[in-house]
Amino acid sequence: MTETVTPTEALVVEETETRPGFIGQSVPRKEDRRLVQGEGIFIDDMKRHGMGFVHFVRSPYAHARIVSVDVSKALELDGVYGTLTGDEVAIQTDPYFELTVPPGNEIKDYCLAVGKAHYMGEPVAAVVAATRDLARDAAELVEVEYEPLPVLVDPERAQDADAPVIHEDPGSNVVWSGLFSWGEIESAMAEADHVVRIQRLHFDRFSSTPLECSGGLVEFDRPTGQWHIYSNNQFPGFAAIMMAPALRTGIDKLRFISHDIGGAFGNKICTHPQLTACCLLARKLKRPVQWTEWRTEQHMTNTHGNERVFLDVEVPVKADGTMLGFRCRAIDDCGAYPRYEPLGCIIWSQVTPGMYRWRHIEIDFTQICTNKSPVGPNRGYSRMQHLWFTERVIDIVAHELDLDPVEVRKRNYIRSDEMPYETPNGCVYDSGDYSKMLDMALELIGYGVLEERRAEAAERGKLLGLGIGSTLDSGTNNFGQSQLLNPELQFSGNNEVATIKLDLLGEVVITLGTVPQGQGHETVASQVAAEILGCTPDDIHVRVGHDTYWNSHSGFSGTYASQFAVTGLGAVKGAAEKLAEEMRRLAAAVLGCPADDIELAGGMARMRDNREAALPFMALGAIINVNNAGLPEDLDVTLNARYVYRPPFQVPDKERKFGNLTLTYASQIHACLVEVDPETGAYEIVNYAAVDDCGKRIHPQIVEGQVHGATAQAIGAATHETFAYDEDGNLLTPNFYDYHVPHALDMPPLHAGYLESPSPFTAYGAKGMGEGGGAGIHAVCAALQDAMRAAGNQIVHDSCNPPWRVWEMLQDAESTRRLVSVEERR
Amino acid sequence: MDPVTGKTIAVNVNGDQYEREVEARQLLVHFLRDDLELTGTHIGCDTGNCGACTVIYDGTAIKSCMLLAIQADGARIDTVEGLASDGELHPLQRAFSETHALQCGYCTPGMLMSAKHLLDNNPEPTQHEVRRALQGNICRCTGYWNIVEAVLAASKGEA
Amino acid sequence: MLLRQVEYARAESVADAVRLLGENSNARPLAGGQTLVNVMKARAASPDVLVDLNGLDELKGIRTTPAGGLELGSMVTYTEMVESEDVGDFRPRLAEVTSTIADVQVRNRGTLGGNLCSNDPTNHLPPLMVAMGAEMTIAGSSGERTVPAEDFFLGVYLTAVEPDELLTKVTLPPPGGGDGFAAVTIGREGTCIVNAAAVVHDGEARLAIGCVSAVPVVVRASSEPEAAAAAVTTADFDPPTDVHASAGYRRRLAEVLARRAVQQAIGVG
Repeated sequence: MTETVTPTEALVVEETETRPGFIGQSVPRKEDRRLVQGEGIFIDDMKRHGMGFVHFVRSPYAHARIVSVDVSKALELDGVYGTLTGDEVAIQTDPYFELTVPPGNEIKDYCLAVGKAHYMGEPVAAVVAATRDLARDAAELVEVEYEPLPVLVDPERAQDADAPVIHEDPGSNVVWSGLFSWGEIESAMAEADHVVRIQRLHFDRFSSTPLECSGGLVEFDRPTGQWHIYSNNQFPGFAAIMMAPALRTGIDKLRFISHDIGGAFGNKICTHPQLTACCLLARKLKRPVQWTEWRTEQHMTNTHGNERVFLDVEVPVKADGTMLGFRCRAIDDCGAYPRYEPLGCIIWSQVTPGMYRWRHIEIDFTQICTNKSPVGPNRGYSRMQHLWFTERVIDIVAHELDLDPVEVRKRNYIRSDEMPYETPNGCVYDSGDYSKMLDMALELIGYGVLEERRAEAAERGKLLGLGIGSTLDSGTNNFGQSQLLNPELQFSGNNEVATIKLDLLGEVVITLGTVPQGQGHETVASQVAAEILGCTPDDIHVRVGHDTYWNSHSGFSGTYASQFAVTGLGAVKGAAEKLAEEMRRLAAAVLGCPADDIELAGGMARMRDNREAALPFMALGAIINVNNAGLPEDLDVTLNARYVYRPPFQVPDKERKFGNLTLTYASQIHACLVEVDPETGAYEIVNYAAVDDCGKRIHPQIVEGQVHGATAQAIGAATHETFAYDEDGNLLTPNFYDYHVPHALDMPPLHAGYLESPSPFTAYGAKGMGEGGGAGIHAVCAALQDAMRAAGNQIVHDSCNPPWRVWEMLQDAESTRRLVSVEERR
Repeated sequence: MDPVTGKTIAVNVNGDQYEREVEARQLLVHFLRDDLELTGTHIGCDTGNCGACTVIYDGTAIKSCMLLAIQADGARIDTVEGLASDGELHPLQRAFSETHALQCGYCTPGMLMSAKHLLDNNPEPTQHEVRRALQGNICRCTGYWNIVEAVLAASKGEA
Repeated sequence: MLLRQVEYARAESVADAVRLLGENSNARPLAGGQTLVNVMKARAASPDVLVDLNGLDELKGIRTTPAGGLELGSMVTYTEMVESEDVGDFRPRLAEVTSTIADVQVRNRGTLGGNLCSNDPTNHLPPLMVAMGAEMTIAGSSGERTVPAEDFFLGVYLTAVEPDELLTKVTLPPPGGGDGFAAVTIGREGTCIVNAAAVVHDGEARLAIGCVSAVPVVVRASSEPEAAAAAVTTADFDPPTDVHASAGYRRRLAEVLARRAVQQAIGVG
């Protein structure tokens, strides 16, 4: 065990020219004052008079017919307000809309299990009582009779003729399947000097397990049929689209309100089933209903990241190390219900070639159901799985052909002078300099003294390894990619909304459509608006959280998919510019000059050439609100501007599965140094470098925080975090005791570096960047493989490598070596 | 004392005296959050691992999810709500903000109490000692690096 | 996360505690609560009565014994053991190992007695006590008795302490040679996957391997590290397989850690 780790060292920063103003500055965060005092309002902090607490009764079986549900004993308990069962749900709601094509779209997905339990922990009934304890007690009195059924947990068996079928209505476990083929893989094979084959690569199931669990507090207003859904759901646009048809109500009847959220990372996107149950209960019991998820429930049922296995990988390579492409089969395990899926079946193709220039790519992709927790778009969603795959391929090919891993990457990286770069499937990488980032990472990790360190470690009986992980964070989705999976879907493009007003007393107030969970939206939005309005971020108040009633949102509103810097800030910029333009026209009308003569500066609207002629914001606000007599009749000024940002997308070509699927591409290159104890398989990350390029950093400190957090999550996913199931479908890691996330002592020294390659496609050159951490998983895998060169030349083929797995590889190198083969063509 | 299913307890929280009736089975963290409406102390897990519920109990940092409220009869408890005084933030709170040691803020109250307990007992900790002091507090947003920096900065009076 | 209804009594003396445990079926002593309260939160076990021992000063304290050994009250906390001058002088390995249990908050409440009596197979202290040759003093309605550590641990979560008895103190003999402890854990200073404690005296090593059986597995060997590993190889135990390790991996770890514990005990590790 090494001793104390050094603190984060000085950054190596290469940044674009700093401009005057607040953009690019790490201004103090508005959110902090309330959060450091414990005054944040998280969902479980909320109370309503007369509210009932929900506890869900959950299936102990991974797959079972529900013979009967008897709530009578629960109802007899004093303080129990009522219950909800699957039978009621089947009558009162319609199944959730399925995004996939037939027959998968026949899946019946309700907020409680109807007829059958499909995964361990699926909610079967709900009990509401006056206190949490009573609800918990009452839940134990609900008697459910089950008939266990055979369980399916192995994704590679899901299509076998004798596999248990999870959903009878479609009659098959296949949610979606399709062939992706670009370029000419056959001719690439023919041209190859070597073909490297990898039998199997497996990306493990894990999730970012936000510290705050999901929750909701739902009130139903009977006279208007309005539901008020206080929750920490991070994507109300999606929740509304799912819940409104299910509840047979209009979109506006579902009011989503969020305040502070304790982390989400994609884990709080698919909570619509629990919220639906709360809606039904609030209506049935005529009282507010409160639900807080338990940690065990989160691990068991809400939600996992996609598990994906890549089979029969073939990689044609030229003698000089140029990789021409790859072909493989991929099986994605989405658990018991698709929900947000099958979007994961296309979203990976935002980064089809990873960071590399290969043009001939073919993936035969199938998504299947198993008796495991449904998945959700966990941080890195679908791209991370695919980028791990491409990095493993690069790393394994280099390993097998004895090519230098640095040289091979530089040879195959897309070059900065090729940007914007169109990928084989028509996505456009906006900017980036991968080679330069790799050099920065290598310098930060001490590449020059690697062999010295390796020898020194060997003297202590340890195996040292260096690994590189390169990855992309594609941000701002084009939802039109959904049509490549299902041409019948009517989703495309993307948007986000912001509203800004100048109020009576001169207050500037911004209302966002986003749903922040720690990313500092209040702060960053105020920076952008302050620059445009000529005031300071302190002069701008940004409302906390999200509220449908603010009418400052649209169908895609939420916070997910690495886009706030583009969509959220695009909306703020648009709204602020609209407001600024109105302020200038109003000031011009009052001061009697052309609008072009007015500038906004120092909290004033003033004549550029005569600064004494100025109106403070308060004056403008007062005139419009309460003192408007005498204004020109044709002066159309409200000082209340709503702007919908819309990225420039087209509907992709469905035939060729071709088109731009994402607007921005932040890049991350990580390097890590591991020391393996060959006797135990235990290893330590002894040094770590993370280089990030997300274009213009609006608030550098917030960007750094995201890099840190994503890196830590990747380290956890690489070393310990896995949702492992036994053959009966029992989750073996249902809590933090067995599912080990990194703690303070687990963190390596971190050396971070930044590059700013502005995006030509966004207002400030900024790119979304919350999901770049996957690079850590790629780097750790590569480092372990490098460390084991001297011990059997093992191939790392799983994304999560706890000590037991490293040890098994060390004991039986052959078992991993058997997975790869090299065919010499010339 | 014969076994009881509940009793009235007297606790001093952040200098304020409270008397409340509690069931024997009630956890201290629920008592603080639900009965005293001090919702700054958070719950993040079911198994005593995450530390979001950390408070200072008779001078020691403990996880309030593993103490029964009934055990706390007569105790002095310090929670995050008691850190600032007269609107002035505690140096740790200032340091956390300045060093960006919080993102979503959910683990922050527990972190602050663990950090306060450390600095109360060890005013000049090393980096390693800070990590050990925070080992029982899980954060998913920050990766801990900035949190460690913040505690060190506060210890050096740099906040 | 929410307990079932339970009754609570704060014991006023050891005799009072014993009485309460005897009078109420399904009563459990409440020590630090760092294990028991979690078990009750999960509703994996739900005692009807909790007998709170936290007011019993007679169960606190760490003292040296006239024989040159160390006596620890069952209610001393991990933090008290870590900070104790006597432990530091007399058996520093005990303080060192205890300082790696969980985290500060757990160590501030968790107790020696709780750790031993819960006898979770992954706990650090049972194997260490067995290797050190500790003696456990148990108080019941008919008086006190002592049980050597090797006979104290009977099964998973099961010890020689009867439902109406209390562990009152643990006595360690004078140290003869060196103490060693080695573990592979889930994450740094996390839960043990396999651990091994070794006490070396006069060329002999007494080892206790944890996490591989319901109770610590005692192995005796010479104090030559390789001999220790070999003795573990031939020892009779059947490690469990779980999500963190296979039986085979645990077996091999036991050998390696035994060797390392002995190396540490003799001062070369």
